[in-house]
Amino acid sequence: MRVQEHPIISEFKKGPLVTFEFDGKSMQGYEGEPVAMALKANGVIIHRYTTRNHEPRGMFCSIGRCTDCVMIVDGVPNVRTCMTALKEGMKVQTQYDKSALEKGENQ
Amino acid sequence: MKRYELVVIGAGPSGLSAAIEAASHGMQTIVFDENLRPGGQLFKQIHKFFGSKEHMARIRGIDIGSKLVDQAKEVGAEVVLGAPVMGIYPHKDICVHKDNKVFTCKADNIIIATGASENALAFPGWTLPGVMGAGSAQTQMNLHGIKPGSRILMMGSGNVGLVVGMQLKQAGCELVALVDASPRIGGYGVHAAKLSRTGVPFYLGHTIVRAEGKDRVERAVIAEVDSKWQLVPGTEKTFDVDTICIAVGLSPMYQLAMSAGCELNDDPKKGGTYPIVDEYGATSVDGIFAAGDVTGIEEASSAMIGGRIVGAAAAYRAGYITKEEHEKIHKQYTDSLMQLRQGMFAGKNKGNPNIIQTDEGIELSQFLLKKGYIGNDEIMRFPGYETGFEGFRPVVECTQNIPCNPCQDVCPNKCIIVGDNITGLPAVQKGAKCTGCGLCVSACPGQAIFLINEKFEQGKAAVSLPYEFLPLPQKGDKGYALDRSGNKICEAEVVDVKTSKAYDRTNVLTMKVPFEFKNQARFFVGEKEGL
Repeated sequence: MRVQEHPIISEFKKGPLVTFEFDGKSMQGYEGEPVAMALKANGVIIHRYTTRNHEPRGMFCSIGRCTDCVMIVDGVPNVRTCMTALKEGMKVQTQYDKSALEKGENQ
Repeated sequence: MKRYELVVIGAGPSGLSAAIEAASHGMQTIVFDENLRPGGQLFKQIHKFFGSKEHMARIRGIDIGSKLVDQAKEVGAEVVLGAPVMGIYPHKDICVHKDNKVFTCKADNIIIATGASENALAFPGWTLPGVMGAGSAQTQMNLHGIKPGSRILMMGSGNVGLVVGMQLKQAGCELVALVDASPRIGGYGVHAAKLSRTGVPFYLGHTIVRAEGKDRVERAVIAEVDSKWQLVPGTEKTFDVDTICIAVGLSPMYQLAMSAGCELNDDPKKGGTYPIVDEYGATSVDGIFAAGDVTGIEEASSAMIGGRIVGAAAAYRAGYITKEEHEKIHKQYTDSLMQLRQGMFAGKNKGNPNIIQTDEGIELSQFLLKKGYIGNDEIMRFPGYETGFEGFRPVVECTQNIPCNPCQDVCPNKCIIVGDNITGLPAVQKGAKCTGCGLCVSACPGQAIFLINEKFEQGKAAVSLPYEFLPLPQKGDKGYALDRSGNKICEAEVVDVKTSKAYDRTNVLTMKVPFEFKNQARFFVGEKEGL
């Protein structure tokens, strides 16, 4: 959820509103904001599932240290979404192990 | 290969300050930072900083950040963003990743100002989405305008936990509880008191047992710990929260210093492993310096001065300033730094349970340390509490020795004196003329100053307090006064809300309360707000 009004911060500088795709769904965010923030504003907080135990992971550090928030961005896996600026038409996918689909699913 | 006289790694408070200092002496300076914005963590610090005027006290970190970025531009230090430094190799070769390419450059001098990273805390369920670092929450809400969650539990009562807790409330989130395994609050009492009076409960001597939830945090379970840090059976408490923030300290990001071959040391008081530096910030490798939190965890004000010290040292090594000039600059900055390193929260004293009284010999408030607010009968023994005023008087509820003196600076009538030593407790001067201007109320970074007007009207006193939340109550609003612990104690009516540029977004709210509650009423909630 976005902060609508804030007692100290008069405005959050944002780029223009752009459309991107998350797991096939169309979503909107602001150009230049981290992909992870645009996702969270759209209610998405699960970024990936771990390889062995299939556990969900989300944003943990927000500054590029922990790599918990990696996803598949424009076909490239392991992209830190907290450090990657959102662009128009970006394709973002939940990462299962290293790929976009669950194991056993048809490619 | 491109060669630079000075490469600074990290564009946070120390790195930018180092670059500004060096470039101002004419040194060719470039700064690399992996982030997309300069300023490091400064742009998340929306609160007013402590210290004195020379440390930019009572200016918000966010505004200090803008100043630094402008200054760096003015003196011609180049700042390259989105450019993580991957390694430092022999002969000061620096490998940088930028725009999906890797390039190498050479430096005559390097300043490592990589800062720190947050410590994690492992407990069952800690990997669930919704568990995050407190700094992570700060990044989300203060940089990007994203609410970290709706109902939040904060783990850790150091200054990070307390400050971020306050900021969560400012962003419109509910802070359900603040938890710390230690029996004493780790951060400044004034930061804790800000939260307590709004009704945030503190659970000291408690730790988090587990986070529960299917695909995200749905509940947090805490329990008491005994003196050996073992869970006490039967003391579990469950909170319905969607977010758990972890604020259990920071560790220096020493990895680049290690890759450069700098001698390292381990010290829990410094936050872990760090490169050893001398008083000028020089590491064991000739021409490589380090500044800021990477050399040991402190805070942003010290990091900025530390950066200045190291920038001057690099400029001297490169021959841009003479030995005499360098010594003069060095002494000036070192004196300034030493001022900040005083008081009961300075590195050497931090968490020392043997400190039971202030430098002035006054017994510390035990309520403040153990519960997060000053007890009603404790406040009277401090020099910030003084009676015998006609009309307005300030009450300065600043009871621990911390390096800070804006209250003394802003009062036009010298009602509050801290003295030359900036860690001294502010003393309200008997007989001084308080006009009720509210400057001290808004200037105090700890939001610990209140004005009391005992003669507001028959049977009623007026209490003025700092207010930094939305919605801002309006004159005429009726509601309740809360005491320092956040309990509703009496009915109250807002009689004035002052907002001015000089207050810098800290509004001064005045409420009238029955006379007998003047010394307890410290916060206001409107009628509609259910508490």
